[in-house]
Amino acid sequence: MGGKPTTTNRRQFLKATATAIVSLTVVGSAAYYLRDKSSVQKTGILRPPGSVDEEDFLYACIKCGLCVQICPVHAIKLADWDAFLSYGTPYIDANVQACDFSCDAIQCAETCPTGAIDFQIFRRAGDRAYEQLLKQYGGQIPPDVNPFEIQIMAMRRVANMGKAVITDPQQCLAYHGKGYSGPLGKHHALLRPPGSKERIDIAEVHVEREICDLCVAYCPLGSEAIELKEIGNGKYLPEIKDGCVGCGVCQMLCPTDPKAIVVEPREKLA
Amino acid sequence: MSFIFDWLTGDKSLKPLPPKKKEDLPYVKEGLKFNEWKEKNPNTHKWRNRRWAFLIFINLLFIVSYHMGLGILEGSLSGSRLLGIYLMDPYNSSQELVISSKTGFISHLTTNFWIGFFVILSFYWLVGGRAFCSWVCPYHFFAEWGEKVHDYILKKRKIREKTYDITVKYVFWIGFLVVAFLTQQLVFEDLNPVGILSRSLIYGPGLATIWVALLLAYEIFGIKRFWCRYVCPIGVTYSFVGDLSPLSVKFELDKCAHCRDCQDVCLVPHELWFVKKGAATREVHFTGGDCTKCGLCIDVCYSGALSFGLKDWTTNRWGYKIATKMLKGKQAEQG
Repeated sequence: MGGKPTTTNRRQFLKATATAIVSLTVVGSAAYYLRDKSSVQKTGILRPPGSVDEEDFLYACIKCGLCVQICPVHAIKLADWDAFLSYGTPYIDANVQACDFSCDAIQCAETCPTGAIDFQIFRRAGDRAYEQLLKQYGGQIPPDVNPFEIQIMAMRRVANMGKAVITDPQQCLAYHGKGYSGPLGKHHALLRPPGSKERIDIAEVHVEREICDLCVAYCPLGSEAIELKEIGNGKYLPEIKDGCVGCGVCQMLCPTDPKAIVVEPREKLA
Repeated sequence: MSFIFDWLTGDKSLKPLPPKKKEDLPYVKEGLKFNEWKEKNPNTHKWRNRRWAFLIFINLLFIVSYHMGLGILEGSLSGSRLLGIYLMDPYNSSQELVISSKTGFISHLTTNFWIGFFVILSFYWLVGGRAFCSWVCPYHFFAEWGEKVHDYILKKRKIREKTYDITVKYVFWIGFLVVAFLTQQLVFEDLNPVGILSRSLIYGPGLATIWVALLLAYEIFGIKRFWCRYVCPIGVTYSFVGDLSPLSVKFELDKCAHCRDCQDVCLVPHELWFVKKGAATREVHFTGGDCTKCGLCIDVCYSGALSFGLKDWTTNRWGYKIATKMLKGKQAEQG
């Protein structure tokens, strides 16, 4: 004891080091190989609003789950190993619970410590909207105008999660001129309808529609994102516009099975 | 190379003090036989009980905070927020920094990220680095039990323990950073049992939990504390911090009976190298960065030779080079 380590020690060290380097190479190559499989293009998972490009997201997200905890409607979940290297990263399953923006200030982005869900884009959008408002009213916003609501709409517009698409017009009830009568959702989920202050449980709300327009009526972005268009003979079809950010509320509410309207993640569209 | 070994071995590279004479042993001084003296000073489980209670409390606080919406301790062990103050896993953050400085994402990192990174480093500097392992890490809790089962199996089957060179953990520490840099992925985080287990406890188990179970099984039936001792770079990060930490386990040679029961219970026995008869190179030693401050050795010590204490600056590894040179010079003078 006490003296300098012997050569046996050094040999042992070198042997262990060699093992370590081999295993690190294997793990590293596996990660490199799985990178392609883990991309959103393959897994098709919808990221929370304001997520940075997938290329950056996969390392920027440290998988802490703070976004999961802050979301008031519990829309965000963490992916498992079936999403390969996206394991532990947040996603939204719009079939179960879509992002309805009812937290107002995009709290998942605000809470993210690494900026994987980037709050800066929302802050800038909100600031810009306020400046424009000041300019519009000559520096004095009248008391009947609520700048907060205008800022919130501006923040929603830059969320850019994806875009809704009609999978098959034949599936859509409105396409056949049909109405819808029944619960707003088949399972329990939260939603704050546009213009309302309260969240509702979609399974406990009964709706009656002469022509089914749930995807249009409850869209958090309103008519700038989706509108019901008559295509003749009492037939209708929702038209998705440039204003759609892909929050998934339309997908959550669509009563058909399979869904006539689904959200394609941003990266999958590109 | 020899400098690295010197640095890793610390005080060990000094000339050992002459072995203690029999009449100086504490039980001989009291006029008792070794076994009588042992019975007179029974073991306690004071620190172990405190530690387990704290570990369970912290991990429960994560779970309860989330499920009951208390907002006290949010997130997971990869990154969390305690009463509004962010805390980041230092190795996770290190990988993040390595990759983001390559891609330019570093400017996107929030102020909270930097706060969390430095708060956690400062906190663990204060409480002794690897204290994280034995006082917080949920994997350690299971692995500690696994170690007991492992020891039992080996004793029953009379198999000799297989060990590796523990220095390999530094290779993994650098290696995982290099892999992160090359692949632009937090590769370690996909394997990290601390993060996986923490998330499994808070958000519910998944496929990844199986990996943790397999790892634990390997530690029980294969190599003792395989992950914690030879691989875990989080532990290594904390061990760097612990090297600089003022708090450590203090060893006083004059009280020691060289029974080495402390080394038997120690989770990182190499840190207690100085308890062997004739091994100590100083009158007072402090455990190094690998010490998890678990307190098992303090609980078992019959003579109070081991206690939690504050380090003298010359005894930590970073200050060691100067201190050792000075001491070596002194020893040479004295012949």
